[in-house]
Amino acid sequence: MVRVFLLLAKLLIRCISSGRDFALKLYRAQRSGDLRKLFHATVLGLAGSILLVASLMVAGANPVSAISQLLTGSVGSASAISGTIREMTPLLILGVSVFLALKAGLFNIGAEGQFLVGSCFAAATMLAVGGPLGVVLGVLVGAISGGLWALPAGYIKAFRNGHEVITTIMLNNIAVNLTKWLVSGPFKGEKAVSATTATLPINSQLTPLIKIGQFELPQAVVVGILLTVGVGYWLTKTTSGYELRAAGANPTAAEFAGVKTKQVTVKAMFLSGSIAGIAGALQIAQFEHRFYDGSSVGYGFDALGVALLAGGNPYGLFASSFLFGALNKGGTSLMGLGIDKGITTMVLAIVIIIFAAIKYRQRGGQND
Amino acid sequence: MIDLIKQCITMSIPLVLIALAGFFSERGGVINIGLEGKTLLACFFAVAFSSRFGPGMGLCLTIVATSLVSLLHWLLTQVYRMDHIISGMAINLLAAGATSFFKFKFAPDGLDDAHSPPKMLLYALGIIAPALLWWLSHKTRFGLQHRSAGSDPDKARLLGINPQGIRFMGLIGTGVLCALAGSLLIAETPQFTDGMTSGRGYIALAALILGGWRPVNAGLACLLFGAASALQIQYNGQYIPSEAWKSLPYLVTLLAIAGFLGRNRTPAGLGKP
Amino acid sequence: MNLAVEMTQISKRYGDVQALDQVSLAVEKGTIHALVGENGAGKTTLMKALYGALIPDSGLIRLNGDRVTLKSSREAIAQGIGMVSQHYGIIGELTNLENLILGAENGPVLTPAQNEQRAQELAQQMGFEFDWSAESSTLSPAGGQKLEILKLLWRNSQIMILDEPTAMLSPQDSDALYASLKQLAASGTTIIVVTHRLPEVFEHCKRVTVVRGGCLIADHEVAEVGATQLAEEIVGGSVIERPTPVSSASGVTSLAVSDLEVKGDKGQVAVKGISFDLKAGQLVGIAGVDGNGQRELFHSIIGYAKPIAGSITLNGDSWIGASIGERIIAGLRVIPEDRHHEGVIEDWTLFENSSLGLQRLAEFSNIGAGQAELAPRMAEKFSTKHGGLNQKMGSLSGGNQQRFVAGRALEIYPKLILAFQPARGLDLNSTTKVYREIRRRCDEGATAVIVSFDLDELLDFCDRILVMNHGELYEPKPEEARDRTAIGRLMVGAA
Repeated sequence: MVRVFLLLAKLLIRCISSGRDFALKLYRAQRSGDLRKLFHATVLGLAGSILLVASLMVAGANPVSAISQLLTGSVGSASAISGTIREMTPLLILGVSVFLALKAGLFNIGAEGQFLVGSCFAAATMLAVGGPLGVVLGVLVGAISGGLWALPAGYIKAFRNGHEVITTIMLNNIAVNLTKWLVSGPFKGEKAVSATTATLPINSQLTPLIKIGQFELPQAVVVGILLTVGVGYWLTKTTSGYELRAAGANPTAAEFAGVKTKQVTVKAMFLSGSIAGIAGALQIAQFEHRFYDGSSVGYGFDALGVALLAGGNPYGLFASSFLFGALNKGGTSLMGLGIDKGITTMVLAIVIIIFAAIKYRQRGGQND
Repeated sequence: MIDLIKQCITMSIPLVLIALAGFFSERGGVINIGLEGKTLLACFFAVAFSSRFGPGMGLCLTIVATSLVSLLHWLLTQVYRMDHIISGMAINLLAAGATSFFKFKFAPDGLDDAHSPPKMLLYALGIIAPALLWWLSHKTRFGLQHRSAGSDPDKARLLGINPQGIRFMGLIGTGVLCALAGSLLIAETPQFTDGMTSGRGYIALAALILGGWRPVNAGLACLLFGAASALQIQYNGQYIPSEAWKSLPYLVTLLAIAGFLGRNRTPAGLGKP
Repeated sequence: MNLAVEMTQISKRYGDVQALDQVSLAVEKGTIHALVGENGAGKTTLMKALYGALIPDSGLIRLNGDRVTLKSSREAIAQGIGMVSQHYGIIGELTNLENLILGAENGPVLTPAQNEQRAQELAQQMGFEFDWSAESSTLSPAGGQKLEILKLLWRNSQIMILDEPTAMLSPQDSDALYASLKQLAASGTTIIVVTHRLPEVFEHCKRVTVVRGGCLIADHEVAEVGATQLAEEIVGGSVIERPTPVSSASGVTSLAVSDLEVKGDKGQVAVKGISFDLKAGQLVGIAGVDGNGQRELFHSIIGYAKPIAGSITLNGDSWIGASIGERIIAGLRVIPEDRHHEGVIEDWTLFENSSLGLQRLAEFSNIGAGQAELAPRMAEKFSTKHGGLNQKMGSLSGGNQQRFVAGRALEIYPKLILAFQPARGLDLNSTTKVYREIRRRCDEGATAVIVSFDLDELLDFCDRILVMNHGELYEPKPEEARDRTAIGRLMVGAA
């Protein structure tokens, strides 16, 4: 018995180590440049597509009808497009937030938490003040609270050498609990049964800017577009934007160039958080009209993908947020075919992996 | 009181396993935001395999499958040199999507007792794991080289150590421990539901950081977090709002990262190629 | 004579550069042998060949009389050769004992008690004291150097190569280190010390080999050679009569540094209380072998490193506490040492890089317009070869990046020009152009400080030369201010 066990263990170790040797060969081939960029883009793309089609077939769905349903559900009609734009709006604004931080060399995984805190306080402000003034103040409060929520991460990154990804993950979880507590206590609507605020009065709800039949263009998406253009301009045309990008691209060179990189880090984090907070406030004013526990369905995390896919160009955010919005909207319509919308999440994950494997690669290290 | 202790163990042992899974990758230099996704996949595998092949074989297959997912992470970060954070997030996303998509096909029902993973074995493993990993990390050649790869891969390379090879083994370790954690969660709630890990991957990561990337301390941090949630369940918001209890682990970790609770012990080579 | 190492006619070529040209080295077993030379003389290359870190193009290596080919460091280690390079190989997060055994463990399971016992024996044998369970991050530079030597003993090295072992040590620590090395040699270990410090050679070494420009220059018993002769052999007697560059220095002090002390990145005091005054219009060269505190001095004048004591003033304004940005506005322009990390952003275009460091100046108040106007002039200045200013900086060759960085530093009214090896990667023609432009700026009233490891370059272009050695600053006597050998002696501490 013992001998059989030992033999098995030996076999297992043999198996693992030959697997490792093969993998290391792959690693060396990759390092020595035998595998070129184009090659692994193709390989990854093919592998991803095969995986998706196989997944659909394994789950018993017809890939062709799934794809056509995905398309009609997201861009096939005026109402579908409106739905896609609605999904796209928070993703665009949050995308700007994450994009800005990324330019400063920061991964703001905390956009989710900043969005929640921003929308929660914005909703409370809009309800307390009411009317159009309430909306304006609400957006302002959303921006400030979102920015403040991001501030600890910026400070810890700059002055205490703690990774912003870890701190923002922690802040996200605290934000979920904080807002949940707020809407089940202090901010809870008077007649509300579940954890939610009251509904905004009609004069505090943003109406669509354009409405033609089934098609609606929300005001919030216009704000998002303006924000994108504004941030894009600021980053490329102003000295402070230039310094922020320098700090993100090469902190040592930026420091030598007289940029106070630590202050830039704190500032970038605050701004990024503010924009996420604005996204939250507009979500309330335009679409949700109230804040409730579970308001965000992971927009902040999707926004990271949106910003990454934009590939360094702020105007790329329009395309990437539209893609994500379409997948979210189309995914819901797949339910009609009995296909779980998990497949669209898989699509997003695979797109991000392929894109990041090509674009966001580490440099340095040595050959061995 | 007995209930409280029981509750505390139920809450903390899965965390211990996940945190130590994180130890295997992070102490060797691979940032692992993907613990949540790997554990979620492990839960899914545990239901899918155990319902077909029984608890023993099911556990083995879960371990193999989760390890393969973990090696995908190795492939992305070490071979494709992808950013560690993006790849971890992508794995979480992939796991959330895939498990949700496939659950009706492969894991539609709960497991009955005959197919449920071996609960007692898993708890026992969870209890001895911190000590075992401490031994592995401090008393073996693998452990020493593993730590050197996480602290300074370039210097380690100069001494003839291959950090990529070490991390390969480390990520297998991550896969195995995530598999155990996922199986344990399934042994407690025998039905797979979307997002059933409910942030445990992140809490475990917090515990790992709070424990200064040391196995025994990370285990103790998990115990602390487990006790906090057990107390919260027991006294359900009687004295302090339950949301405050739930935030506590994150808040404490935040302070720890800021260096207000002793010195920062982040491995210096974390995320370096 | 019992030779432990015999390297015969070793040659190595990198592209156009003949790094080693038929260099031979013979080292007697059980002795301390010094290998001396300037930066770039080929010392390190020769030692890398012995350590298997590079394969020479031609030549023979014999160890204890047997011919060997060393294709990798692993093979060299197996042959009993060990090397402590200047790049410190100790991992701070591990304990001293763990660092000692890392990479040379006895088996899959560690035996700490046994290991510690052997470590303790080795340490005692050398007269070292270590707290084995302490983390190595707490080690002093001297302690780190000692641990490195113990690492070689742990690996049973019979032949040890030490590259500038005393670079970061105080005189006392250096003496203690050499005492232990002598003891090792007495027990049969062969030690090769790469150094540029002549006092060490005379006090502690038995034989000395001099290399210069990749060639073997001389090989002496230390007892049979004098310091002056050795210094001359290292820097080489120059036959060219060079004209002293004409300076338009006024009597006005611009940069004044007094009692400046700066720490290096390993925590050692790298600049040891130096003082100097520079006049407006002066083009000053700081000579010295790499690693003698020039980098730290440079960084503290830029504002990148905070001095622990002393003052820096420009035109009477104190720069202690001034940010880098404020210094740039006051007229500081920098050609940094490491352009990849410190000088450019490789992902950016030449346009974008043209304002880096100057972005707060009036010329760039409209950043896009400023770039459009000035980037072409900066590229033009030293004929940077590029395929359009929209090209990424990273796609330029090193020399062209250097041309651009130099052009940028000299474009907008500099007051204080700081340059670290400004001619790095440039041909002779471009080098002359860069120095001429610096001179022109000095004639307009700027002050320039050039750190270079190439003494000839400094003699050719600078009107005043200061020397750094071991963190101290020396100025040659007025009558020897242009004397290559005299300056060379200061560089190697033989004056």
